[in-house]
Amino acid sequence: MKKRSAGLIRAAISNVIILVLGVGMLYPVVWLVAASFKESNTIFSDPSLIPKTFTLQNYVQGWKGIGIVGFATFFKNSFIICGLSVIANVIFCSLTAYAFARLRFVGRKFWFAVMMLTLMLPTHVTTIPRYIMFRSLGWIDTFLPLVVPKFFATDAFFIFLLVQFIRSLPKELDESALIDGCGKFGIYMRIVMPLTMPALITTVLFTFLWTWDDFFNQLLYLNSPAKYTVPMGLRLFVDSSGMSSWGPMFAMAVLSLVPCFVLFFSLQKYFVQGITTTGLKG
Amino acid sequence: MNKKARTRAIRENLSSYAFLTPWLLGFFLLTLYPMLYSLYLSFTEFNILQPPKWVGLRNYFIMFIGNEQFPRDERFLNSLLVTFRFVFISVPLKLAFALAVAMLMNQRLKLIPFYRTLYYIPTLLGGSVAIAVLWRRLFAGDGVLNTILRSAFHLNPPAWISNPKYALYTLILLSVWQFGSPMIIFLAGLKQIPKEYYEASSVDGAGKVKQFFAITLPSLSPIIFFNLVMQMISAFQSFTQAYIVSGGQGGPLDSTMFYSLYLYLKGFGFSEMGYASAMAWVLLIIIAALTALAFKVSGSLVSYGSGE
Amino acid sequence: MRKSVSVACVLFMCAAAVFAQTVTLRWAYWGSESRIKRSQQAIDLFMAANPGIAVNPEVSGGTGDHFNKVDTQIAGGSGPDIIQMGGNINDYVKRGVLLPLDKYVGTILNTSVIDPSAIESGTIDGHLYGVSTGVTMPALVYNKSLLQRVGAPFPKVSMTYAEFRAYLVSLKSKLPAGVYPMQDIGALSSNSTPFGYWTRYNGTPLYNAATNSTAVTAAAAQKYLELFKDYRDNGLIPPPDVAAGYAETNADTSMLIAGKAAIGFIWTNQLAGYQAATKDELELIEFPGAAATKALWQAPSQFYTVNKNSKNPELAVKFINFLVNSPEAAKVLGNDRGASASATARAAGSTNVNDRKVLEYLNVSGPHSSKETDHVPNDTEFNSTLFLIYQKVAFGQISPAAGGQQIHDLIVRLIKK
Repeated sequence: MKKRSAGLIRAAISNVIILVLGVGMLYPVVWLVAASFKESNTIFSDPSLIPKTFTLQNYVQGWKGIGIVGFATFFKNSFIICGLSVIANVIFCSLTAYAFARLRFVGRKFWFAVMMLTLMLPTHVTTIPRYIMFRSLGWIDTFLPLVVPKFFATDAFFIFLLVQFIRSLPKELDESALIDGCGKFGIYMRIVMPLTMPALITTVLFTFLWTWDDFFNQLLYLNSPAKYTVPMGLRLFVDSSGMSSWGPMFAMAVLSLVPCFVLFFSLQKYFVQGITTTGLKG
Repeated sequence: MNKKARTRAIRENLSSYAFLTPWLLGFFLLTLYPMLYSLYLSFTEFNILQPPKWVGLRNYFIMFIGNEQFPRDERFLNSLLVTFRFVFISVPLKLAFALAVAMLMNQRLKLIPFYRTLYYIPTLLGGSVAIAVLWRRLFAGDGVLNTILRSAFHLNPPAWISNPKYALYTLILLSVWQFGSPMIIFLAGLKQIPKEYYEASSVDGAGKVKQFFAITLPSLSPIIFFNLVMQMISAFQSFTQAYIVSGGQGGPLDSTMFYSLYLYLKGFGFSEMGYASAMAWVLLIIIAALTALAFKVSGSLVSYGSGE
Repeated sequence: MRKSVSVACVLFMCAAAVFAQTVTLRWAYWGSESRIKRSQQAIDLFMAANPGIAVNPEVSGGTGDHFNKVDTQIAGGSGPDIIQMGGNINDYVKRGVLLPLDKYVGTILNTSVIDPSAIESGTIDGHLYGVSTGVTMPALVYNKSLLQRVGAPFPKVSMTYAEFRAYLVSLKSKLPAGVYPMQDIGALSSNSTPFGYWTRYNGTPLYNAATNSTAVTAAAAQKYLELFKDYRDNGLIPPPDVAAGYAETNADTSMLIAGKAAIGFIWTNQLAGYQAATKDELELIEFPGAAATKALWQAPSQFYTVNKNSKNPELAVKFINFLVNSPEAAKVLGNDRGASASATARAAGSTNVNDRKVLEYLNVSGPHSSKETDHVPNDTEFNSTLFLIYQKVAFGQISPAAGGQQIHDLIVRLIKK
C-alpha cells in the first residue's frame, strides 16, 4: 500500500517536470497554428498570439496552391517520393549495415571508412556534378534522381545507425541460429531484422521526415509545376520582389506538418514495446 | 584441407559481398564521380557558367596563407572558428539533454505517447520560417526573454540575437532545443537493452544510479558513440538554421557565419564554386580526422555485443 | 503507391506524346502565387494564339532559389529557353550565357513602342540582351497610419538632406520609445541601393562600365558612413544591435512592417507585397536631394532574356514580344513585374490602388531621375561585403575612415575580378 502511493507520487512528479519542459516545446507550434488563422496583413505587425480576427480563408486559398497546380498535387508528389525512399532505405541500408556489422570479408574496414567519408563532404559542392550525371541519364524533371539513389543505400547515416544497433546485439543469438542451420540471409531475416526493429522504425521515421523537408534537391530536379512537392509549394507563396501570401503559406505549413505528426505518433508506440530476448535465449 | 579452407573463405567473402553489392554499386555509380569531380574543382577557378580553369593550389593558398596578390581570406578563418565553437559547445549539450529526456521518456506513464510527440515538435519544425520568427521574438532586444528580465530582475539585457557577442549562443540554444533526433535514437537504444540485465542487478541490490553506470551507459555506448559522431558531422555542416535566422547573411558581423553557410555564399552567391569545393574538402579532412580520433578512442570505451 | 507511380508514368508518356508534335519553350522565372497565376494566363493566351508552341513555366519562389537552379541547369547543359534576370544580368552576359537579341529587333521583337531608357538598360556592350519587364524605382516608404496616430506631419516631397534630418529629429520627439524615425537603410543585407543613390547624389557614381572604373573614393565612402553615424548617434536610426535584428530581406523581416520604424526603403515594385503584410497604410516618397541632382533612376525590375543555347530562339523572342507588347498580356500581367515600359501595354491601364500609388510616384519622381549607373561586377558579392563593412562601422569595430577605405578597395577588387 505504502509502496503504491510512493509510486503515484513519483509518477505525478515526473508528469509535472515533463509538462513544464513541454510548454517551451509547444510554443512555436501554437504560434504557427495561430498565424495560419490570422489575416496576412496582421501576422508580422500584430505581435499577439491569439488572432483578433479569425479566418479560414488562408486554408481555402492555400489549398488552391499557385492557381495552376493545387496543394493536393504537391502532397501526392511528396508522398510518392517519401514512400519510395522509406521502402528503399529500410531494405537496402539495413542489408548493408548487416554486412558491415556482422559479416567477415576482406576490405571491411576500408569500405566502412569510405562509407563514413561519403557523409563528410558538404553536399553543395557535389550538386553540379550530380546534376550533370542525372541529366546525362535523362532523369531531369522526374522523381528518379530523388528516389533511385536510395535503392543503392546512399544514405550512409542510416547504414551507420543500423551498424551500431546490430553490433550492440548479443552475438550469441546469431551463433545459436547458425547452429540451427540458418544461412546469412536467414540470420538477418530471423534474428537481426526483428531485433533491430526500434532502429528500423527510427529509419522509417527519419527517412520520411528528412525526405519530406529536402527542399534543395527537389528544387533542382523538378521543373514542371505539376511535379512540385510540398516544400516547393510553400516557397511559392513568398517572393521578396513581389507579392507574398503569408497567411496561405502558414496555413499550408501547418497542413504539411500533419503527416509528420501522424507518422510520429503512430510509430512511437514501437519504441514502447522494447525487445524480449527471453524467447530466443533457450 | 588447406584448399578446402581457401575455397570456403572465398565463398564466405563472396556471399558477404553479395550483401554489400547495392551499396558498392551506388558508391561507384552515384557517389564517387561527384566526389572526385568536386575534388578536381577545388583546384580550379569555376564560376559555374563557364568551364573550370585550373589554378593548382591557389584556393587552398588563399584560405591558409595568402600574399599581396591573393590576400588571405579572413572570412574563411572566421567561419572556421565560429563553426568549431558551435560544434564543441552545442554537441555535448545536445547529447546530454537528449539522453536525459530519452530516459525521462522511457518511463511507464500513461501520457508517454503524447509527451514523446510533444518533445519531438521542435525537431519536426526543422528549418521552417516559423522557427526564424519565433527565435527573433524570443531573443530580440524587445523580445520575450528581455521583457521578463527587465520586469522581474530590473536588468538591462542586450539584444541577444543581433548582438555579435551573443548571436552564436542563440543558435547553439536552437540546436540544443532541436534535440529530437538523438533523443529518438537513444530511446530506441534504451529499448534494446534486455530487461533481464536490470532485473538481475535489482536482485543484487543495485540502486538506480549504479544501474545507470553499470548497465545503461555500457549497453548504450555504441548508440552514444553513434550520436556523438553523427551530431558532430552534422554540426560541422550546420546550415539551415543559421541561414533562416540570419536571413542568409551569417550576421551580425559574421558572428553566425557557419562554415557551410560561407561555402554556400561563396559557391552560389559569389560564383566561386572552385573555392567552395576546396572549402568542402578542407572540411572533409577536418571531420574525417576528428571522426578517426573518435573511433580510436572509442575502442576502449564502447562495448559491443559480447564476443566482440 | 506503385499504382500512382505507374499512373504518373502513363500520364507522363501521354504528355510526351502530345508534345512530340509541338515545340516546347521552357520559361524560368521567380515569383509567388499571384505572379504565377498571371503568367499562366499570359501563357494560355499565347498558346491559344500560336498553336504548335507550348510554354512550360519553371518557377521558383525567390531570386536565390531561381538562380541556384538556373546556374545548375546551365552548368549541366540544360538551361531553360527564357530566363528572368535581375540586376545581375551583366554577370551573365559577361559569362557568355545569354543570346544577343539585336537581329530580331524590328522583325520578331518590336522595340519601337518600348521606352528608349528601358531598351538602353537591357543593352550591354552595344548589344540588346534583356527586354525590360517593367520599370521600378528606389523609394523611401513611410508608415502613414503610424504618423497619423502619433500626430506627426507627413514628409514633404523633394526635401534636401538638411531638411530631411530636421524632419527625422522632429519625428523622434513624437514617436514612442523603441520606435525609430527610420530603419538603418545605410546598407541592407542583400541590397546596396541606398548607397548607390547617395554616390550618384554625391556625384561619385559606383561604376562606369565603359572605362571600367569607379568614382567612389575612400573619402567619399567615409562621408557616407559618417552621415549614418550621425543619424545613429542621435537616435534617428536604431543602434546596430537593434537594426541587425531585422534582415530586411522581405516584409517578414522588415522593421517597418513590425511597426518599429516610421520610414524604410523599398523598390516600388515591392510596395504591393509590403502593403499586404500590414494593416497600416504605406506611402512612397523620394530620397532627399533628388529634385536638385536627378540622382534617382528608373530601372527594369526584371529582364526577359534568352539562353544562348536555346534550340528555338525565334520562338522564345516571339513569346517575349508577346509578354511585353501585347495589350492582352499586359492586362493579365498587370504591374506585377514593374510598371510596363511599353506604350501599347500601358494603354491597357490598371485599377489597383498600389499600382496607382506607384504610377503617381513615377510621375512625380520620374523627372528627378537620370540614366542608371552600371552595376558593379559581381553584384551579389558587392552587396554582401558592403553590408559587412557597414556593420563593422555601425558596431564601432572600425572607424568610418577605415570603412571608407575598405569599401573603395572592395569595389576596385570586384572590378578587377
